[in-house]
Amino acid sequence: MKQLLIVDNEETILFALKRYFSKLRYRVDAACELEEAEALVAHTRYDLVIADLSLTSGGSTEGLEVLRFLRTRSPKTPAILLTAFGTPAVEREARRRGAKAVLAKPQPLPELARVANALLEAQP
Amino acid sequence: MKRVLDRIQGPGAIRMEFQPIVKASGGEVELYAVEALARGPRGTSVERPEVLFEYARRKGVESDIDLICITEAFEAYAQLPHQPLLSINVHGSTLASVDHFSDRILSAAKAYGVAPENLMFEVLEYRAPWAIETFVSTLEMLRDAGVRIAVDDLGVGASNYQMIVDCHPDYLKIDRHVVRGCGEDRWRRAVLESIATLGSSCGAVPVAEGVETDADLETLLDLGIDTLQGWLFAHSMPPEELALHPLFSAKPSLKGQCS
Repeated sequence: MKQLLIVDNEETILFALKRYFSKLRYRVDAACELEEAEALVAHTRYDLVIADLSLTSGGSTEGLEVLRFLRTRSPKTPAILLTAFGTPAVEREARRRGAKAVLAKPQPLPELARVANALLEAQP
Repeated sequence: MKRVLDRIQGPGAIRMEFQPIVKASGGEVELYAVEALARGPRGTSVERPEVLFEYARRKGVESDIDLICITEAFEAYAQLPHQPLLSINVHGSTLASVDHFSDRILSAAKAYGVAPENLMFEVLEYRAPWAIETFVSTLEMLRDAGVRIAVDDLGVGASNYQMIVDCHPDYLKIDRHVVRGCGEDRWRRAVLESIATLGSSCGAVPVAEGVETDADLETLLDLGIDTLQGWLFAHSMPPEELALHPLFSAKPSLKGQCS
């Protein structure tokens, strides 16, 4: 069973994502803040991380910090960044920090699952 | 959304389990002490203690969580039908930074009926240095009251010779990374041998953590390390389960303790 970390500060979205991916037989951890995500990454080997860009207020970019920390601790783990505030600069920075995909939010769950699955299948 | 920190700091959110520490002698083991082990709120991301404390460190509330854990440990310990030596983890940074730590803890211990002579603090740390003067004077105050001191996780991280020199410990708790597999690894055996010698030289009792196999047990006993903790003897368990455990049915022994 693949181990997935989902990071989002919006409770309803986090709940929905956790429920959806659990039904797809992923083992899912959920975090709603940066430090919580970092603590989990520091002590867990994840197969995939999905993080929202903004974890506090609109315009904040803690999701990039999640990517940075993940790259330090687990450089081979693929990550997807979700953002409602996407700009080319954010996407460039996210990819520089190791994101394999940057997706607009809201994202249809089946499409998110398709991208997640493709990234996992591309893993050696 | 209710932040993780609020959930951790809520009353009763952090639960305590106890893991027995045993003394082996003549082919038998008897209960020597119990270590209090914190567990985060059930079903949350911080249920695992390593994630709980990593999160606390990153939020800058490690000392607050330490104090909650110590109080919860006293409360859980007070439920036991009799009171063996109680060992509790505390970060070096907490000893060095919390005002009047010693007075506060001893008052709380008294409130729960925990005698200082029945209390041991296992000092652990992930980062150094801290305010060494406060750290040392807090340890002295605790020791003067009868509390015993252990260096935790010896052999990994910041639990090193500096910690031993600063703490003057009564116990050396050897990290499981060094212990696990020592029955088949001459390097681990050599490190353990040096710790046993060190303990003997400074009057500190070596305690092996993570004892899980008969081969490791045999090696430890060969080296004179007979104070032991690990799944070979007992897992950690809630106080009500510990009270019914066979190890707990006999009166605990405190022989071999350092003074």
